[in-house]
Amino acid sequence: MAGSFEEVRIMKNSISIFWRKRSDFYKIRLTKCLECGKVSFPSRTKCPYCGSKNVRIVEASGKGTLVNYTVSYYRTEDSDELQPRIIGLVKLDEGVIIPAEIVDVDPDSLRKGLRVEAVLRRLKSDDPFGLIYYGLKFSPVLK
Amino acid sequence: MDRPEGKTGIIGWGVYIPRYRLKASDIAKLWGFDPTTPSSLGIHEKAVAAVDEDSITMGWYAASSAIKRAGIKPEKIEAVFVGSESKPYAVKPSGTVIGDALGVSRKRLTTDLEFACRAGSEAVRLVVSLVSSGTIGYGLAIGSDTAQANPGDVLEFTASSGAAAFVIGPAEDAAARFEAVVTYVTDTPDFWRREGSKYPMHGEGFTGEPAYFHHITSSVNLLMEETGLRPEDFDYAVFHQPNGKYPLRVASKLGIPKEKVLPGLVTPWIGNTYNASALIGLSKVLEEAKPGQRILVAPFGSGAGSDAMSLIVTDKASARVNEAPTVEDFLSRKTYIDYAEYAKSRHIIWRNWG
Repeated sequence: MAGSFEEVRIMKNSISIFWRKRSDFYKIRLTKCLECGKVSFPSRTKCPYCGSKNVRIVEASGKGTLVNYTVSYYRTEDSDELQPRIIGLVKLDEGVIIPAEIVDVDPDSLRKGLRVEAVLRRLKSDDPFGLIYYGLKFSPVLK
Repeated sequence: MDRPEGKTGIIGWGVYIPRYRLKASDIAKLWGFDPTTPSSLGIHEKAVAAVDEDSITMGWYAASSAIKRAGIKPEKIEAVFVGSESKPYAVKPSGTVIGDALGVSRKRLTTDLEFACRAGSEAVRLVVSLVSSGTIGYGLAIGSDTAQANPGDVLEFTASSGAAAFVIGPAEDAAARFEAVVTYVTDTPDFWRREGSKYPMHGEGFTGEPAYFHHITSSVNLLMEETGLRPEDFDYAVFHQPNGKYPLRVASKLGIPKEKVLPGLVTPWIGNTYNASALIGLSKVLEEAKPGQRILVAPFGSGAGSDAMSLIVTDKASARVNEAPTVEDFLSRKTYIDYAEYAKSRHIIWRNWG
């Protein structure tokens, strides 16, 4: 915990960047190309496959399957309490593979093919008095 | 009975109980309590939120399940009220984060409510009033807490984490329609947390008779007086659950047999989830009740007050049960942790980066 005035007033993260991109932190937004029909991640104005600007942003259902994962013991200030971190590749039910943090599962019981769902969690925070940043991680599905 | 609340009902419900559990016997052993303390409180274990969870994240999950069961688009929700005594921010509404993350209409009423453990219940009352008056079509009432307890305090056996949420709307679409709702409130010094204090304090002998029992029996008796209903008219009774014993004792005082209370009693296995306590119990009952059955719900909050609600289950409830995880799903999903992991998760200890 920080103590002095100088320490507590410092914001490590950019509030403005988070605010502008909050829709992408709260939802999994995909880019659907209306020309070639392919779906990609993240949301953008141009199809990465055919270059068409004729795209529509669509929301993913939030459910998917764990394709692969790694367990990271590398410690950063933001990951202080949540160690080790599990970083996975999740194949969404819409067919797109995205990188995502996996939570609520013991590293020893991880397996490829695990069904997972997007859950809102604390991503990081400017402790002790700054902003808390929320976003989606993935957890094993309950139903 | 021709009451305004009769125009409204629960369209969808949802809960969230964290995966992690701490056994009450571990707390007793660590702090040197009499080993019979957990059984005297009627508590086996409690749910513990993970380090990246708080009342906003849990409230979001419960609310998203409630919306799935309601089968409506989030844009149709015109109010989000969050009852909590463990807001992540002292000033910055939880309801704005939850509402935007759910995709709820931005033309919405949103506020956080505080009334110890009954703020979520007050949220239900407010949404019922707004829907019955025609001000809004649908509203979301959420109760969510990561309850705090001073390490070594007897409250630590029960203070736990969880959330419940309800989409409330017109009675015609309801899984359970409101029949009557009343509230009884007094100034009672049974439990409080001062500004800047990390943990609450409790007024020793005030917590039982002058607080919990007086307010719940008063609100339920008021409901009976105003409606003409009698204890035998109810098929289920759900009360605030600060421990595993009080709900059974207050039922006995009201002449309600324990068989009507046990189906909605969850505290022995998840602890006291504060603003979600009675509301998770109500959700569990909604997942097993039959059409036409009547449910009595009486949440309680220190300070103190109690609401008494009568609901009648409709034939739409059963089809919505499996649209989202049930209370039983959450009760059976659990991973035990030790006190050290609990202390880290609930920020009782911090890593010193020195």
